Amino acid sequence: MKLLRTLIPAVLMVALASPGTAAVSSESAALAVLASGAELHEKARACQELGDVGGPAAVPALAALLNQEHLADYARSGLEGIKTPAAGAALRSALPGLNGRFLAGVVNSLGVRRESAAVSDLQALALDPKRGVAEEAVASLGMIANRDAAKTLRKLLSDGPADLRLPAAHASLVAAGHLAKEGNPAVARELLDAVVRAQPTANVSAAAQRQIAALGKSGSK
Amino acid sequence: MKFTRRHFLKTTAVAFGMPTIIPAAVLGKNGAVAPSNRIVLAGIGIGPRGREDLKAFLSQSDVQFVAIADVQEARREVVRVMANRQYNNQDCVKTRDMYEVLGRSDIDAVLIATGDRWHALLSILAAKAGKDIYCEKPCSMTIKETQELADTLNRYGRVFQAGTQRRNVDNFRFAADLARSGKLGKIHTVHAGILPLQESHKWLPEEPEPSKDVVDWDRWLGPAPWRPYNKEYVNGRWRGYYDFHGGAALPEWGAHTVDLCQWGASMDHTTPVSYEAEGQTIHGLYANGVKLVMRLAGFKGEGNWVVPGTCPVRFEGDEGWVEAADTGKVAVSSPSLLAGGAPAEMHGTDPTKHVREFLDCVKSRAKPAANPDVTRRGHIISHAASIGWRLGRKVQFDPVAETFVNDADANRMCSRARRAPWHA
Repeated sequence: MKLLRTLIPAVLMVALASPGTAAVSSESAALAVLASGAELHEKARACQELGDVGGPAAVPALAALLNQEHLADYARSGLEGIKTPAAGAALRSALPGLNGRFLAGVVNSLGVRRESAAVSDLQALALDPKRGVAEEAVASLGMIANRDAAKTLRKLLSDGPADLRLPAAHASLVAAGHLAKEGNPAVARELLDAVVRAQPTANVSAAAQRQIAALGKSGSK
Repeated sequence: MKFTRRHFLKTTAVAFGMPTIIPAAVLGKNGAVAPSNRIVLAGIGIGPRGREDLKAFLSQSDVQFVAIADVQEARREVVRVMANRQYNNQDCVKTRDMYEVLGRSDIDAVLIATGDRWHALLSILAAKAGKDIYCEKPCSMTIKETQELADTLNRYGRVFQAGTQRRNVDNFRFAADLARSGKLGKIHTVHAGILPLQESHKWLPEEPEPSKDVVDWDRWLGPAPWRPYNKEYVNGRWRGYYDFHGGAALPEWGAHTVDLCQWGASMDHTTPVSYEAEGQTIHGLYANGVKLVMRLAGFKGEGNWVVPGTCPVRFEGDEGWVEAADTGKVAVSSPSLLAGGAPAEMHGTDPTKHVREFLDCVKSRAKPAANPDVTRRGHIISHAASIGWRLGRKVQFDPVAETFVNDADANRMCSRARRAPWHA
């Protein structure tokens, strides 16, 4: 009985669908679905497929969905997968017209894509509490992790609003990891020192100290 | 913060109405573990499998389970009753909001047993909150999420044990030890049992959403893409759907069996360099020539395994072979391989020893068997193999860079967008 109880989810899964062959759609087929009167779930799937197979031609159709209640996140899924600069530019262009969850999602996608060109946009959003996505913007700066992003994070740690210090510390740890890996150990060290000085939680301070130790001499100024 | 007896008494008495008369056993007499030496645990998302884990935790005298966060009231209540019955009190707190658990400084560790879509993100949030983590498998939805999870756990120095308990189940351990000992000769092929590969993109028909106090559908979805509510999902029938079940379901058993193959082949430090699907079988190849065969197993004896039972593995060397599965049994190519005695029969789903190892590591700060690095590689293999299957062709993989080699199509399938506002 115990065995059955433990395994029953997997049993249910097997009953749900027979083994299938994965199908990867074409860009044109997925775009045709988006342009049609297809059902919501079909359009959602088309967005995901464009993340796998789409190119620049798919960007406008996906960007047009970034403010759509149930498709915005699917559209981000598509745009995160399309590696051409046009997808990043479309996400940046959408920022002024979005709010709430839609805005938070696009901010996150810019971080995931590590869009360097978005650093100034994210700096502004991090310092504008009225837009309501300061934490998301800080996290994305940590993911982008270029020198400008690191500078902004250091500034937030030393002089930023109190409620952003901890998010900035977490983001700085992520950024320091990228910077060290990408040949900027000294910048990483400056950022980690700033985390330690900011005295966030003991857990975060200890993490910063560990990263400093791992940098070793390569992080010396 | 460091948990102390004083803190335990203060916080529990004030916040949770602990009885004023404290039983002697709670104070550490009569052989009980004093509160100052207990690991204070909370659960997040505890369904049927999570309750098996929880039973194992509750059976340990140095654990104090204090809170459950779950998006389903029925599940919250079952867990609350389980804990209160164990401690003969009414102290277990239940909440819909996991942040109430993660924000409590008296909680040392969390048991995460939600659906797969939440595993990595919740583990990351818990690590950032300074908690140690026992997380059910599969621990991630994608290769990128796997990397993010392991990097975060290492960054914050948290003790993490993936719920791949077969590393601590006797017959599987015996089989891996045999392979690693050289008694099978040079290992050339390892076999991992997997369930049928599948990914459904269907949506079930929309049903009226219950109140958030009964089922918080938005929170249940979490970082997974939106779709309309249907009670089947929250009743456990979310498996097999692409949006909720990563890696075309390969990690469902692969998290265990591929992981065991990594161990048995002494490959915990790396991954195969190529994957090629042949129907429902995926052939992985390590740089040193060892083959990893991920092939169908099931509940009805599918797949021509010698040992009956779910989650089978087989390790083959040039001088012999060994096979093990969830029934607790092993089969070997020669009776001499059992000269020291067959391992005790323990069911493969029993998490007790795995939980115990986790708790010991929380105290010692050592790395448990299913630590972030081991979990990283085992899960990456499952995801990478499933991407090869999706593409329907051979893919090459770089175990150091952890990316597909000269293969933009495959590399695009290594991540998924998280639904806003969820991010790590």
